Amino acid sequence: MENLLDLNFLIESFPAIVSRLPITIGIAVGSLVLSLFIGVFTALIKIYKVPVLSVISSIYVSFIRGTPLLVQIYLVFYGIPKIIYFLQIEYGWLQSADVNSIAPEVYALLAFSVNLGAYLSETIRSAIESVDRGQFEAAKAIGMSPTAMMLKIIFPQALAVAIPNLGNMFISTIKDTSLVFIIGVVDIMGQAKILGSRGLAFFEVYIAVSIVYWILCIIVERVLVKIEKRARRYERGIAA
Amino acid sequence: MIKLENIHKYYDSQHVLKGINLEVSKGEIVSILGPSGSGKSTLLRCINFLEQPTSGIVEIGGKRVDVESASKADVFALRTSTGMVFQQYNLFKNLTVLDNVMIGLTSVKQLKKDEAKKKSLDILERVGLTNRLNHYPAQLSGGQQQRVGIARALALNPEVLLFDEPTSSLDPELVDEVLATIRSVAATGKTMFIVTHELQFAREISDRVIFMEDGVIVEEGTPEQLFTQPKAERTKQFLSKASRNK
Repeated sequence: MENLLDLNFLIESFPAIVSRLPITIGIAVGSLVLSLFIGVFTALIKIYKVPVLSVISSIYVSFIRGTPLLVQIYLVFYGIPKIIYFLQIEYGWLQSADVNSIAPEVYALLAFSVNLGAYLSETIRSAIESVDRGQFEAAKAIGMSPTAMMLKIIFPQALAVAIPNLGNMFISTIKDTSLVFIIGVVDIMGQAKILGSRGLAFFEVYIAVSIVYWILCIIVERVLVKIEKRARRYERGIAA
Repeated sequence: MIKLENIHKYYDSQHVLKGINLEVSKGEIVSILGPSGSGKSTLLRCINFLEQPTSGIVEIGGKRVDVESASKADVFALRTSTGMVFQQYNLFKNLTVLDNVMIGLTSVKQLKKDEAKKKSLDILERVGLTNRLNHYPAQLSGGQQQRVGIARALALNPEVLLFDEPTSSLDPELVDEVLATIRSVAATGKTMFIVTHELQFAREISDRVIFMEDGVIVEEGTPEQLFTQPKAERTKQFLSKASRNK
């Protein structure tokens, strides 16, 4: 009898796939952290209409939105070594950098940070702009510096507004990290591919890896709900 | 002492303050009346640079600032020597009642946390809200929020308090508790500017009443003078209309 699935193979592939979770999570979380900095910086440039930089920011966001992530990953992976090499030969800069020793994970992290940063900047900008003008005025009126005002009053309120969107983008990013195998990073998807071609059982391994992604995303969603509740706790109208 | 000299404010080509001169001595309570669009709120907001005045001089407690050459330090000095109470309260929504009052002390005056807390508790006691310390603004009534707003403005111990229509967004039954709080602050000898539509309150609390229209001070005097024998025709019209609407 012909079997639809080799169940044993499917089950046995889990440990190897799960062992690569740190790579997937590392790239997703690492790029979230880096992209938050990029996103806040870019958003502030646009809000304060900083000359020159705001034009560059617009081009950056437009480019990232208008090109496929896959292409962006290739651009980083092939472009950065070439640029470093060029700078070394032409200007003698970055002599200590050994292009060949940079791990592909680093390129993946960079590419995802730059990509997510562009999307986050728009979300963060609209979240900051959604904060009531009166909050800015009250902070100014008591003499708070712009930095203190942003850190203590505006960002916490903007964050509460932005979290649902940030969460969705983060979940998309987790799934998009399945692309990193193309530059040689062995994440959970890469591991699945390797196992699949070894055992010629692709259907089985892709079922296994999809289950791993699914569970991961469910856990992340749960955590996000908790974080959102905490960030919005001050909005509840009833005494705690 | 507070002195405004020839304050002008333009929004683009619109001339909203047309040379305001005002001298207020320490402890004096000045109410500013006038129809909407007369520039009274703008005047208040020019004193602490929430609006940048176009020209003129602002002087508070010996600090004299020519608005056209005001530095960041000048603006900071004016803002920390004034406390503002807003029509919409504008409490920091993400902070508790206590933190709303403390934040000026910790992040502007750089006081130690326990010292700031002690001061804040004293002030919150004066506005009668020590039982709401850990509430967020959304959990308070409008009247309570505005009393926190007054406490926050008092926290930095400013030379002058600026009230921008402090009771205009309140439900009628909550107005009295806020007016009572303002009265109790007045009794401590604080200099105050009050932009208000509460004529009776202005009459009772003020040392001086100013009537503004169209960016100029039309008339000023003691409440008695202004309310019983207004000189300018416009003041008469405004007062009779406003009291009829009551």
